[in-house]
Amino acid sequence: MYRMLTEIGGDAAAFGHFGATAGYALAARRAMHEFHTGPDTWKHIAVGQRRWANLNPRAVMHDKPMTYEEYYNARWLVEPFRLPDNCLVNDGGRACIITSVERARDLRHPLVTIAGMGQHNPSVDLQQATYLAGPTGARQAGETAFAMAGVTTRDIDACEIYDCFTYTVEITLQDYGFFGPGEGEEWFSGGTIEPEGRMPVNTSGGQLSEAYHMGLTPLTEGVMQLMGRCGERQLGPATNTKEPEIIVCSDNGGILQCHSCYILRRW
Amino acid sequence: MAYNKPLPKINADTKEFWEGCKEHVIRVQKCGDCGLVRWPPSFICPQCHSRKTDWIASTGKGSVYTFVVNHIAYHPAFQEDLPYVVAIVELNEGPHLITNIVGCAPSEVRCDMPVEVVWDDITNEFSLPKFRPVL
Repeated sequence: MYRMLTEIGGDAAAFGHFGATAGYALAARRAMHEFHTGPDTWKHIAVGQRRWANLNPRAVMHDKPMTYEEYYNARWLVEPFRLPDNCLVNDGGRACIITSVERARDLRHPLVTIAGMGQHNPSVDLQQATYLAGPTGARQAGETAFAMAGVTTRDIDACEIYDCFTYTVEITLQDYGFFGPGEGEEWFSGGTIEPEGRMPVNTSGGQLSEAYHMGLTPLTEGVMQLMGRCGERQLGPATNTKEPEIIVCSDNGGILQCHSCYILRRW
Repeated sequence: MAYNKPLPKINADTKEFWEGCKEHVIRVQKCGDCGLVRWPPSFICPQCHSRKTDWIASTGKGSVYTFVVNHIAYHPAFQEDLPYVVAIVELNEGPHLITNIVGCAPSEVRCDMPVEVVWDDITNEFSLPKFRPVL
């Protein structure tokens, strides 16, 4: 661990800069300077996803509800991020089986297809990056995936977004075009992404509140929701949300250096 | 007491930079063809792929591009500094450097705030370029 922190980051360790929390916090702070965002926006993401985790018996945070007050009272790790702005550290595993539609038709589970995919990798070192407040790779990756699927944000029933940190969810949805720069706080307010909300996001609790399985946390949840295998947290009548046909999923790497977007569609 | 924080690791690319720091000068590379001023150092220009490279001295002035306040010590030697500020400073010459902001309270740091270099001579071999607000 010590070697990872001091040798991968080059000479940044000499200045006490270590790890992903600090890297994304640098991005989030620049965003706070460029448009209206910050903890008042991110609390909706942390608390909203926790409400989904409370419906998911496999979630690490299943039996730990969280209020806005508890979010604000949580300790700072690397300001502007508090503890609940960070994803979990956990053991576990996820798998996703991809095969042909023809083969999948003979299997017992409902069929989910990849309707579109896009990838964009700005790949600039954190120190020199000037896209930390967007547009990140999500903009181009999203445009590619949405065009391939022939859909717009208005067709999306739910989002499963790579959420290493709360800010990552905001900047990804912003770059996909769900809202304009700085409109996030208003867009998230009123339980938008929660159970019974009009645009459910990270319906397992995500990496903030279910479990960190890298890009497979959002991807497998999107597939499971479209298959109807999510029990108490199932989108549709069980959570007073729209029965999903189309879900957008994302993955992201480095400090916003690479981005993948997938549009999943029930067959 | 011996200095117990991680030290920079000199390599063929960064040697010139750290030797400059020892003399309290920030040296960065400038492309001999397209003129791009760049960091980190590299033997080829990322913009025009020229191998003609000059080293230039920065004025040591710039502004805070972004910053964070560390409230947790990922390395035990930084425990005594908490809370401390890590920032990306944009030099007036263009390149960004990862560094610390010193000489003011963490709550006083702002993005785009003008700053200037202040040298921290940590060992006989190394001086770290840190930055303080321009008054």
